[in-house]
Amino acid sequence: MGSGQRQFEQMVRAFSADLYRYAIRLCRDRFDAEDLLQEAFARAWKAWPELRDLAAAKAWIFAILRNEHARRFAKKRISVVDDEFDESEFPSAPSSVAGLEIEQLFGMLPLTYREPLLLQVLGGFSCSEIASMLGTTEGAVMTRLTRARQALRSELRCAEPRKSAR
Amino acid sequence: MNCLEFRRLKLADPRRLTGAARTHANACAGCFAFAQRVDESEALLERALMVPVPEGLADRILLRQTDAIRPRRRVFALAAGVVFAVAAGAIVLTITPSNDAARLAIEHVLNEPESLTTFRNAESPLFHSIVHAFGGEIKEPLGRVRYVKLCPVEKGTGWHIVLETPQGLATLILVPDQHITAPESATVAGWSARAEPTRRGYYAVVTGSEGTTSLVHRLIEERIQWNT
Repeated sequence: MGSGQRQFEQMVRAFSADLYRYAIRLCRDRFDAEDLLQEAFARAWKAWPELRDLAAAKAWIFAILRNEHARRFAKKRISVVDDEFDESEFPSAPSSVAGLEIEQLFGMLPLTYREPLLLQVLGGFSCSEIASMLGTTEGAVMTRLTRARQALRSELRCAEPRKSAR
Repeated sequence: MNCLEFRRLKLADPRRLTGAARTHANACAGCFAFAQRVDESEALLERALMVPVPEGLADRILLRQTDAIRPRRRVFALAAGVVFAVAAGAIVLTITPSNDAARLAIEHVLNEPESLTTFRNAESPLFHSIVHAFGGEIKEPLGRVRYVKLCPVEKGTGWHIVLETPQGLATLILVPDQHITAPESATVAGWSARAEPTRRGYYAVVTGSEGTTSLVHRLIEERIQWNT
């Protein structure tokens, strides 16, 4: 086994679990997620000689998977929204939301908020790394992450009293 | 650093605080408590996102990649591909035509098998309020509620409900704001589904047999009045 192949194998073993979790949130289907993962690693293997910095391998493979998802499922680049967000973008939680967990609240966030949050929580990337992956500024990523967490915290606070009232 | 700056930094990246931010939190009781609350919800979120990874995932990926490198294995990969295609074809052939809503309901159940073995939000009032929001009124109980979850479905979200009915376990999928023009039926891999239009969207019943699906559908029609 060549050193390139060995390094590639290490990358698969190190990142496939986090990537799968990222993929499943993008696809919302476990079979599509695994298929997407296979395709992303296939593309990564083909492009492996182009990877100059092994330390950047994680961000590189996450970006490949994201692009592959955009290509296959969205059929277009995931839109990058400006810093200015309308708070009404958040779908209002149904009254029966009480008792549902954060996972479901997370799923209700707009993609522009959900995606950087996924990359940070699952991928462990910094705001600056996420900005490079999403093709936006670090400031914009910080704003999205701040608002995503504010939205989750606010929904959780709303859900708690309803839950305890039942 | 002031409190506003600290809170913005903490919400943007809870795990990467600068030295100045940490110093501020240690000196400010309000921000210290705020940071603790953020960490708690962050831990909750992390746990929620840590879905189980299928066994052997990395091995399957590597097998496929190394197949591409080693020509000898391509023959086996081709054979495996043919077997898979035949198996997939066999499943597809069992699908009744013109049955997207019913078929998707079965696929949803197959993708979430834990819904049939676990209890989650198993509360009748929650079920009643969901049906009510969907334009229905439960006149008589359908059975014991075992599982309620708001799930992503194609082009939106839908309620995934599992009921213990007199006919056995039945899955009810309520999909608001997506309309079908006529009732649909599908049978996939031994599962049977029937989807019915309502004014607010459609609902689908999924069970392990056509007979049971038909009985549960009749039960729903008898015991739920679809008002609007």
